[in-house]
Amino acid sequence: MQEGATGPGPAGGKTGGARRDNASFLGFARPKGRAGIRNALLVLGINGLIAPPARRIARALPGSKLVATPYGRGQLGPDKEVHFAQLVGLGAHPNVGATLVVGADRPTAEMVAEAIVARSGKQVAIVTLDDAHEDALALTERGIRLGGTLVRAISAERRRPVPVSDLFIGIECGHSDATSGLVSNPLAGAVADRLVDRGGTAVVGETLEWLGAEHVLARRAAEASIGEAIVEAVVRREKAVAALGVDLLYNNPGYENVRGGLSSIEEKSLGAIAKAGSRPIRSVLPFAAEPQGSGLHVMDGPGFSPESLTGFAAAGAQLMLFTTGPGNSFCSLVAPTIKISAHPDATRALAEQVDFDASAVLLARATIEDAADELFDHLVDVASGTATWGEIFAEGEECLFRSGGSF
Amino acid sequence: MSGSDRPDASLAWEAMAINAADNVAVALCDIEGDVHVRIGDAVRVIHVAAPIPMGHKFATRDLTAGEPVLKYGECIGITTAPVAAGEHVHVHNLESRRARRKAG
Repeated sequence: MQEGATGPGPAGGKTGGARRDNASFLGFARPKGRAGIRNALLVLGINGLIAPPARRIARALPGSKLVATPYGRGQLGPDKEVHFAQLVGLGAHPNVGATLVVGADRPTAEMVAEAIVARSGKQVAIVTLDDAHEDALALTERGIRLGGTLVRAISAERRRPVPVSDLFIGIECGHSDATSGLVSNPLAGAVADRLVDRGGTAVVGETLEWLGAEHVLARRAAEASIGEAIVEAVVRREKAVAALGVDLLYNNPGYENVRGGLSSIEEKSLGAIAKAGSRPIRSVLPFAAEPQGSGLHVMDGPGFSPESLTGFAAAGAQLMLFTTGPGNSFCSLVAPTIKISAHPDATRALAEQVDFDASAVLLARATIEDAADELFDHLVDVASGTATWGEIFAEGEECLFRSGGSF
Repeated sequence: MSGSDRPDASLAWEAMAINAADNVAVALCDIEGDVHVRIGDAVRVIHVAAPIPMGHKFATRDLTAGEPVLKYGECIGITTAPVAAGEHVHVHNLESRRARRKAG
């Protein structure tokens, strides 16, 4: 092993030679929709009652991914809709070669499986507690056999060149510091611009991060109605928070922010939203909804990064860019997540967790544009199969958002 | 700073404008004196008369009172007084158009 080996990131003194054209990546073609950048079996537990058997099935099938919701009964209205939108979106995800739906009752499992097939055209198998005469061990055994058959079938898939325009990335930030707004977020934004300019798709979420900059985002909307929808989404959440007695604009930025150099809420929000880049905003997506068309989109969603990432994944994002200051280990399960930090201490201390070291920009050895070229190369490499640290150490998880409690 | 008026001679530049259209730059370390500022493809020298901490901003050109302050290529607030090039821009001379402040 090479001691102190450096990972991707603009090296000091390195000057740009011939750039890669990054016109394509090696991906798995799917019957419908975007190509996959991975090809795993998803074991999808759709009801909390059978989460333990779903877990046993996934454990018996190395290389498979597990999403097992703890919920699934007593849900109504928008909460039920968003729950199923996430399960179906994850089941239909491009990086999933085939899905084994594990359910309690047969009709619900069939409904979810049919929705996954309608969206993705992929192989889906079903096992339910109903079919196993309420025997959870029999359910486990049946699931392992069926799942194994699916793994064998998808192992025949091969990577082929796919236009880079087929890529859809989610951009997230978590545990930010002064380096985030200064370097990492503008860097992620510059990569989003590169992808959008090549016909690709990008999404940012966390509606309340737009607060204070929503008028700026609205001006960047491709149509006036989209701009209005951006402002309305922020106002709706601001009011919901105000109803709980919290004024989000009162003395914001706070004392710590001001001491760090932030002078206004506009500046703070622009630092967060810099990760979206500068291209026109094509739509405001409901949480977990698939974008209709390429380009930059914003998703009206919660401000907790695990939930936000699951919303992007359910929408079909194959890959995530995740900026952080001091570090943040959380990754999407189905979408490889590239961790980016510009903090020299963090990139040194977390060398096997931060995928892209952007500290050269902070140390005046590279510009954001230099670093964006390097990061775009790395993104295409990860799309073609290069592992992220999060994949290597299994830091991935999906966190299902609920808009209400069970009745 | 021995033998040099530069805040940190090991750095190719000590401050940068995030967007080439910005009229403020951000300090990459604690700065004072003749500061090298990366703006787009160019590096300019701007004199910073009083110390500015890392992460804080200063004007890259003279600003009049009531002028939009541009960072990320967007308006982050309005100057409340004239600001000379190299002068600290912060809550004492920049006002948000959005925030609600505690009175007094």
